[in-house]
Amino acid sequence: MTQQQLFPVTVVGSWPRPPYLIQALRRRQAGEITFEEFQKVADQAVLEALRLQEEAGVDIVTDGEQRRDNFYSFVVEKLGGMKLMKVSQLMDYMKDRARYEEVLRALDVPAFAIKSPIVVERLTEKNGLALDEMDFLKKNTKRQIKIPLPGPYMLTRAAYFEGLSDKAYATPEELAADVIKILRKEILALKARGVDFIQLDEPTLSQIIYGAESTETFMCAALPNRRDPMEELSLAVKWMNETVAGIDGVRFGVHVCRGNWSRREEVLLKGNYGPMLPHLMEMNIDQLVLEFATPRAGELEVFKEYRNEKEIGFGVVNPRTDAIETPEEIVARVRKLAAFYDPEKIFLNPDCGFGTFAERNVNTAEVATQKMRSIAKAATQLRADFKNTRSESAHSN
Amino acid sequence: MGQEAQPAPEKLNGLHPKKIEEIMISMNQPEVLKEVSGPWKSRIVWQDGFRVKAYMRNHAVEMDEPGALDASDKAASAHEQLLSAVGSCLAVGFVLNATRRGIRIHDMEIALEAHFDNILKWAGQCDTGNPGYRGITAKLFVKADADEATLRELWKLAYEGSPVTQSVVRGTPVTAEFGAL
Repeated sequence: MTQQQLFPVTVVGSWPRPPYLIQALRRRQAGEITFEEFQKVADQAVLEALRLQEEAGVDIVTDGEQRRDNFYSFVVEKLGGMKLMKVSQLMDYMKDRARYEEVLRALDVPAFAIKSPIVVERLTEKNGLALDEMDFLKKNTKRQIKIPLPGPYMLTRAAYFEGLSDKAYATPEELAADVIKILRKEILALKARGVDFIQLDEPTLSQIIYGAESTETFMCAALPNRRDPMEELSLAVKWMNETVAGIDGVRFGVHVCRGNWSRREEVLLKGNYGPMLPHLMEMNIDQLVLEFATPRAGELEVFKEYRNEKEIGFGVVNPRTDAIETPEEIVARVRKLAAFYDPEKIFLNPDCGFGTFAERNVNTAEVATQKMRSIAKAATQLRADFKNTRSESAHSN
Repeated sequence: MGQEAQPAPEKLNGLHPKKIEEIMISMNQPEVLKEVSGPWKSRIVWQDGFRVKAYMRNHAVEMDEPGALDASDKAASAHEQLLSAVGSCLAVGFVLNATRRGIRIHDMEIALEAHFDNILKWAGQCDTGNPGYRGITAKLFVKADADEATLRELWKLAYEGSPVTQSVVRGTPVTAEFGAL
């Protein structure tokens, strides 16, 4: 794994999409332009997102997920056997539409805004999930590279829809076996290309714990039956560990937030990480990429019991707000964690992406850049402080 | 030097703009206006319990009540379908006005919600009060090739020009006649 300086600064994944890219995405989804034509437009957007991250002082960059409709539905372009379907199209297949309507109301989103990659046939591979993203980044940056991928639990649960998927896979577990195979192949290919950090996104874990009232959620077009949350978490751990088993030489992270689909904080999930920590700690990954810049995230103290077991990708700015957190505020947040957590295990990032869903940027590129700049300045301060502290400690010993 | 105007597409939003324009203009002719003004009709045929079937021209729609009312819940209730009627008419108006302006709609939904003012009156538990909705909220979600200001304008036109919505808003009188056999 790549050696890091203290408090590496990174992004969670997505960056706001410029209007021309959204237009191209709509045209691509309407079949008016080819995949290759869309990629040309996306290349430009990636270069812009990359430049802004580098100027802001980000150490580990992503391509801003500019090529993706959202953080997991993009796989529909990369795998055979999947169809991108809007929830409005899935409504005719849903068993409990009334319940889903409650979810849409609570989230204040239209059914057409939620798209999910639905498995309709046996999955077949094409040219990798994010290898094109990696190859382009490698040519255009000297910074360390992070590639976010949908986690195995997220992808399986989101893509399996009873009435459509069971023609190809009798059960979600059967689909998971293929999903894990595909993710492993992808990870090994990214590793061969020199990726520094692979982040597996599993935001659905929050829905399981905190979204107790709904069986179905925007994040998955269908969670078919209400299952025991602890059973679901165990399954998520099992599938994650099968995905990363035996693969070393690359940093693995799992990202779990409480939703990033709206700027209205009151519709997002809330609760501390306590109930899911025992399970997260069982995942054979290096880092937990978490959100902490919102009161909804609960107390830091839940980590005391698990101190230093894993790295923490510490969410220090809220990607959805207009106010720019100051470096001083960020330094204060980090100090609270560093009071009981090894500073060498703390990475700094926003709570989530700045444009998780392409058509619903949660912020502008300008604000995103300023927030990242603030984090970078805070990191510089913290490195100096902790270096000084270490020097003093070394001298006194 | 100005840009050349784009020719109107033959089909937009599933409609034919040129034909739509011709139809709208034709309504100024007295005989066309008379025909489109009505009468519009619906025949409700009781099936069983709270379930009815509504026949409108060559179409039929069932209506029922929720299971909590000892009903079979085989179809949406009349009061839910009223919300749907308002929403549908708003949607039609939005699409009409967008199409007339050459604006392409990619996706559109309208979410409606309402509460009864005093449903006890319907249940025979109270002699006074309004058993109807105290107000209806209709929220538009739209993805279209126009800026927000334009889309808001289209929404306003849809609201002000919606026959169903305005029937509700203006409190259209309902004359209840009795046909003895």
